[in-house]
Amino acid sequence: MTGVRLNEEDRNHMKANKILTGAVLLVAGTLGLSACSGGSGGTNADGKVEMTLWQNSTTGPGQQFWKDAIAAFEKENPNVTITMQSVQNEDMDGKLQTALNAGDAPDIFLQRGGGKLAAMVQAGQLMDLTDKIGDTAKSEISDGSFKAETYQDKVWAMPLAVLPSGFWYSSDLFTKAGITTPPTTITDLESAVGKLKSAGVAPIALGAKDAWPAAHWYYNFALRECSAQTIEKTGDTKDFSDGCWLKAAEDLNDFAATQPFNDGFLTTSAQQGAGSSAGLVANHQAAMELMGAWDPGVIASLTPDEKPLPDLAWFPFPELSGGQGEPGSMMGGVDGYSCSVKAPKECADFLNFIASADQQKAYYAAFSAPPVNKTAQAAVKEPYLQEVLAAYNKAPFVSQWLDTVLGQNVGNALNVAVVDLLAGKSNPQQMIQSVTDAAKKG
Amino acid sequence: MSLRETSVAVTDPETDLAQHGGGGVTPPPPTPRRRPRGLGWAGRFEIALLVGPALIMFLGFVIFPVAMAAYYGFFRWQGYGTPTDFVGLQNYVTILTDPTFLEALGHNGFIVIASIVLQGPVAVLLALLLNRRMRGQSLIRVLIFVPYVIAEVVVGTGFGLMLQTQGAVNGLLENWGLGALAHDWISDPAIAIWTLMAILTWKYVGFAVILFLAGLQGIPEELYEAAALDGAGYWQTHWRITLPLLAPTLRIWAFLSIIGALQLFDLVYIIWGQYVASTAGTSTMATYMVVNGRNAGNFGFGNAVAVVIFVISLVVALIYQRFVLRRDTAGAITEGKKTR
Amino acid sequence: MSALTVDTPVSTATVATAGHRGRGPRRTKERLPWGSPLVYFIALVVIALMLAPVLYIIIGGFRSNSQITVDPAGWPDPWNVQNYLNVLTGPQFWRQVLNSIIAAGATTAGVVALGLMASYVIARYPFRGRGALYALFAAGLMFPITVAITPLYIVIRDLGLMNSLAGIILPQIAFALPTTIIILVPFLRAIPDEIQEAAFIDGCSRLGFFWRMVLPLSVPGVITVGILAFIGSWNSYLLPLFILNNEASFTLPLGVQAFSSQYSVDTAKVLAFTSLSMLPALLFFSLFERRIVGGLTGAVKG
Repeated sequence: MTGVRLNEEDRNHMKANKILTGAVLLVAGTLGLSACSGGSGGTNADGKVEMTLWQNSTTGPGQQFWKDAIAAFEKENPNVTITMQSVQNEDMDGKLQTALNAGDAPDIFLQRGGGKLAAMVQAGQLMDLTDKIGDTAKSEISDGSFKAETYQDKVWAMPLAVLPSGFWYSSDLFTKAGITTPPTTITDLESAVGKLKSAGVAPIALGAKDAWPAAHWYYNFALRECSAQTIEKTGDTKDFSDGCWLKAAEDLNDFAATQPFNDGFLTTSAQQGAGSSAGLVANHQAAMELMGAWDPGVIASLTPDEKPLPDLAWFPFPELSGGQGEPGSMMGGVDGYSCSVKAPKECADFLNFIASADQQKAYYAAFSAPPVNKTAQAAVKEPYLQEVLAAYNKAPFVSQWLDTVLGQNVGNALNVAVVDLLAGKSNPQQMIQSVTDAAKKG
Repeated sequence: MSLRETSVAVTDPETDLAQHGGGGVTPPPPTPRRRPRGLGWAGRFEIALLVGPALIMFLGFVIFPVAMAAYYGFFRWQGYGTPTDFVGLQNYVTILTDPTFLEALGHNGFIVIASIVLQGPVAVLLALLLNRRMRGQSLIRVLIFVPYVIAEVVVGTGFGLMLQTQGAVNGLLENWGLGALAHDWISDPAIAIWTLMAILTWKYVGFAVILFLAGLQGIPEELYEAAALDGAGYWQTHWRITLPLLAPTLRIWAFLSIIGALQLFDLVYIIWGQYVASTAGTSTMATYMVVNGRNAGNFGFGNAVAVVIFVISLVVALIYQRFVLRRDTAGAITEGKKTR
Repeated sequence: MSALTVDTPVSTATVATAGHRGRGPRRTKERLPWGSPLVYFIALVVIALMLAPVLYIIIGGFRSNSQITVDPAGWPDPWNVQNYLNVLTGPQFWRQVLNSIIAAGATTAGVVALGLMASYVIARYPFRGRGALYALFAAGLMFPITVAITPLYIVIRDLGLMNSLAGIILPQIAFALPTTIIILVPFLRAIPDEIQEAAFIDGCSRLGFFWRMVLPLSVPGVITVGILAFIGSWNSYLLPLFILNNEASFTLPLGVQAFSSQYSVDTAKVLAFTSLSMLPALLFFSLFERRIVGGLTGAVKG
């Protein structure tokens, strides 16, 4: 039988294979286990402190800002090493949640605030910073900004930038279409849309693929229709039975019926690539978009020469008649950074460091976004950013982004429901219903 | 049922492959077949030694998570600490009454059927066409198989870029003067599901062709020669001889295809993203699970969805095994001796 | 389902190389005739369709981002190797390749070893509960990683294996066992009992029989199973997505996704990375193509 003669060689072959198998498993196991020791840092025996930082800027100046800030901090604190990981904005929340769940969280990370902050605090994941905020920080940063990072009377994150929502538009395209003043009411906005369409320009860029840009429209309509108390109450109860929520959905539905958005807005992302909504504005393929105050920086990275858009301008979300919201209210988030509960105390030092005036000036320069530090705010040059700050400072009520306020479960569901509405898949009643239903899942 | 007298059936030959709990375990009937007497302690030890590691891994990483999923599915739980908010069957009720889930289920059903209908005939025809000795045969087979080898993530990323409204496909159509045919391949609900089917076909038809080629190898030439002698035409021959003899292979392939379609996740998640999938009409049960479970922080709910998917897959598989695969495997497993 | 003769390796190779129908004597070194032009034409069309997207990805990497924005479907002009060079000289790509190799290699080794042992028992040991054991493993097919991921993630987390390759290797082995066992059991069962009898008469124990005779005979099946396990692990995305959060431990599919998110501004760069990440799989496939296709042939052959 030929089989028998094959045996000897094959047997040795098999034996060798088994040994190799065992070796590979051993190596893999060792490597695997050693990789295991990654994750949140700590103080080593020789006094060296290692920390990890997760931030959401993956391109150019933003990334550079963090690298420089880390280098500067490490220079002042030679025993500290900080490793930075850039996580794409859309992936950030999911990854952070997973890491927090796994007990494997980074030491310093982006904090959105609102319900998401509350969930983290309830799970005991954050370091209480109330007593660790430096005096300079307290004096140079407004209370309002700290309020956004406060839960149960304690401060859980250092605010860095105030990023209210508004329209970022190309004044050249507006002039070309014959629009002389920015719209102040929704009716004005609709007629502006009409003029832009006649001029052959996509009026409004919308990155609905990422869901939250579409939802921003709803948040703003809700801000106009609902009173401040209603908004805050719903944030706690997740109850949308107040009529103003439905009315806001109907307003959005009516506005969307005028077809103001760019072609294919359902697969347009917000910030990724020249085909994103920010990219469209950056390349003058759309006239405006409703976005938070980080937009100038994003747009600048997407222009052909990667410099800020020269004709960029800003106007706040128009007013609506008959709504219960106070005119001038703004929807906007505060970007801040938190320390993980397991982080070493140097984490709080780092937060104080980046909140200092010089670092804040660098932040503003890198991101083209309004810093929270008042000394740094004085250095803001761009007219559009100055307008943003002015509007923010005189706003009677500022709400965080509604999806942040409502927490990840209901927030996500709200975002998706808005996209469904804009895609024509549901009507306003169904939209409100699906958000109410979402509360059952979590 | 062809009960062989020489069988060493430890289970009732009627027992199906996937039947749980060893319901048909009966002591082996006395047979005239020679085999080592009894099993003894040495035998049992050997069994434990050989099966042990696999069993431990399997129980630990497959069965145990199933059980845990069932357990967590009874809670509302954000994933931190241990679950404390017991809600009984509430999660399951929510899932089964959620229109989004039912839509996703419908999509899965469509994909299951469309995959078989689209890939099957095409693959059979291709296999018939290529099943002849000719030069370049190996090369052709290899090249057809290439899409199967590439990771779904890679396929998804590549196609995602190509199918954008400003992407290569529309660009190519414009270059050829067919700009009118340019569509929103990804987010148009009327088209998206067909785009998905096209990508799936592209990726998996090669696998089907190779399987069928292999199956065709097992059909004796003599049958074709006899048919030719009897004057049978091309299609007649294939309808009467090839298809029936290829049937076992077809059934196995269909089974793999069905299971794959029920589990579909990577491609849809990469190309359509978590939000667009449901608007575009390409969401699957698995994307629903990730979007409403992990991404929303609802770990109890997510586990419940996992259990639902499991039960659905199991039911489908059992039905398929019992009614379709039965004939092929009745002999293979439950009997100790194979014919040549 | 599978009927094997003792000289299985030979006959499988026969089928794979000569590709004739039925079972005839092995014909070596025969010049195959040309097929009809129609067949070649259809084959060409099919292959063009199969390869076009792959080629698009590869060629796209040679363009620059502005080229792609201006003309999405055009030819590179000029040919730009910068993107490929950047990827190849950067640390990310190679580290991810290494991680993927380790994960896939260890998975394959584990699957083959454990699967073979378990299949042998199910195939050739007579004992009660054998059918139940087989059914248990087969049921695992119904619970793929996609579905198991949420509870599995919790298990891995509680074992402290997050962010480690062991955290993906061990589950991958476990999840590859059902397919492996389903393929190997008929394979092993088909080894004629006469050989076993002869071995026992010669004083060989069951284990010895396994070691000396079954292993060599099962090589074709093992190779098929091994290759399937390797490809499965190499391409796996969902499990690493949940388990590996730390960039340093990313495997290649995860790396592709992360890279495409991070550099989404630069389509050309993403295409370069994507096409390079296809290469290892394609290389592996072309090396083992005969075995893969032949192995599938052997597994299905009636």
